Amino acid sequence: MLRHASACYPRECCGILLGAIAEDDTRTVTTAVPCANAYQGDQSDRFELDPKDQFEAQRLARTQNLEVLGFFHSHPDCDAYFSATDLANSWPWYSNIVISVRQGAYDHARAFRANETQSESHPEELQCPQS
Amino acid sequence: MPTVLIPAPLRPHAGGNASIDASGVTVAEVLAALTSTHPALKQHLFNDEGKLRSFVNIYLNDEDIRYLNKQDTAVAASDTLTIVPSIAGGAQ
Ligand SMILES: [Zn+2]
Repeated sequence: MLRHASACYPRECCGILLGAIAEDDTRTVTTAVPCANAYQGDQSDRFELDPKDQFEAQRLARTQNLEVLGFFHSHPDCDAYFSATDLANSWPWYSNIVISVRQGAYDHARAFRANETQSESHPEELQCPQS
Repeated sequence: MPTVLIPAPLRPHAGGNASIDASGVTVAEVLAALTSTHPALKQHLFNDEGKLRSFVNIYLNDEDIRYLNKQDTAVAASDTLTIVPSIAGGAQ
């Protein structure tokens, strides 16, 4: 995930998080699938996932008894916040990891989840053993 | 009966199910059957004019219905429809 974020710099990267949900609702990401940024235009501050990649990830998750837990993307030379654009183009329930990449190197990352009406997002804890 | 695969964010509106069988011979009919059984799904799939929301993609087996016959695409009893949420964003 972090390699993908650096490799895409100065463009935003994106990808899909697969993993498991424990009975206490703890989410553990086991696989981060790097995807191409499908946004048509300046990708330095925008990203879009190709629905086909998501379709394939959903299928992969089913065959491995995992769940699509959410998505990741990078903010080149910006902090790892969940922007208004991110919120407007997200879905409730999913976890969203935002990675700050400065000068091509990983700086910090945070995870967010949007509420049911997508009016606001909250920071959350994610377990990512092999990120 | 065709099967519809429900993504996690929509399962609370679909009785908690990850997959639901719904009858119909076109995509539109299957989705209509699905939303009549689970009315809460309707506002998440369709806009006020009854069109599929732009944030929602529907796959018939391996193909995006956008590149087939959209909601008029024929569906066989053995087919699977997958609902795929659109995801995008940006730093600004
Ligand atoms: Zn963002």
